[in-house]
Amino acid sequence: MNLDYFQLIDRIVEFNLEARTIVVEAQVPQAHTIFEGHFPGFPIMPGVLLTEAMAQSSGWLLLGVTRFERMPFLAMVKEAKMRGFVSPGQLLTIEAKVEHEGSGFAVTSAKARVGTELKCSADLTFRQIPFPDPSLRVHMDAMASKIGFPLQAMTP
Amino acid sequence: MSSTFDQIATIIAETCDIPRDTITPESHAIDDLGIDSLDFLDIAFAIDKAFGIKMPLEKWTQEVNDGKATTEQYFVLKNLAARIDELVAAKSAGA
Repeated sequence: MNLDYFQLIDRIVEFNLEARTIVVEAQVPQAHTIFEGHFPGFPIMPGVLLTEAMAQSSGWLLLGVTRFERMPFLAMVKEAKMRGFVSPGQLLTIEAKVEHEGSGFAVTSAKARVGTELKCSADLTFRQIPFPDPSLRVHMDAMASKIGFPLQAMTP
Repeated sequence: MSSTFDQIATIIAETCDIPRDTITPESHAIDDLGIDSLDFLDIAFAIDKAFGIKMPLEKWTQEVNDGKATTEQYFVLKNLAARIDELVAAKSAGA
């Protein structure tokens, strides 16, 4: 997790194009200024960042489903539930599933766990549009390589 | 079984918190009911699921932007219901 750059996903564990599912890992840093304020004496990951981690997991899933032809942008968060505290140094395992593929939008459901314990879940809606700038596509390709996105899994 | 219009009206009422009795077949989703693009995503999701279709929103939007269609053709609810019936029929024919 690189919180300063808002890159919350470290590694793609599994991507299943047919099932429209993804599993990723996100290592919460042991120390960060965020934890100094949230909260003094009781550092925990903010719910908005957990929601963002679920959104980024879903985003990688949708990028794979559209074969990197469309960039997903978060549009709606529903049923976001923070079910337990996530502490510095914990490893999040996040699963996301495509619930619906619409015309120019998609809906996913996502869950994050530490070990077997469910920590949060949400239903997320994304707008999907062609990459608005070529440099963004280049960046996403580089990030895909960095986090181990299995590009070969998208080959028909 | 309720009509396509009735089903759409119920979806819109529940999704956008609009009183059901103010939604008529002549209502324009955008101009009369004030539904914005984000709420319409929610409505499209509910309609797609309810009717087992994929409304071609991008195609419709493109047609409107290109001047090949008017918003009334797709967003006046009686017309939207007709488009949905066509999509359902096309899906049944192709199944």
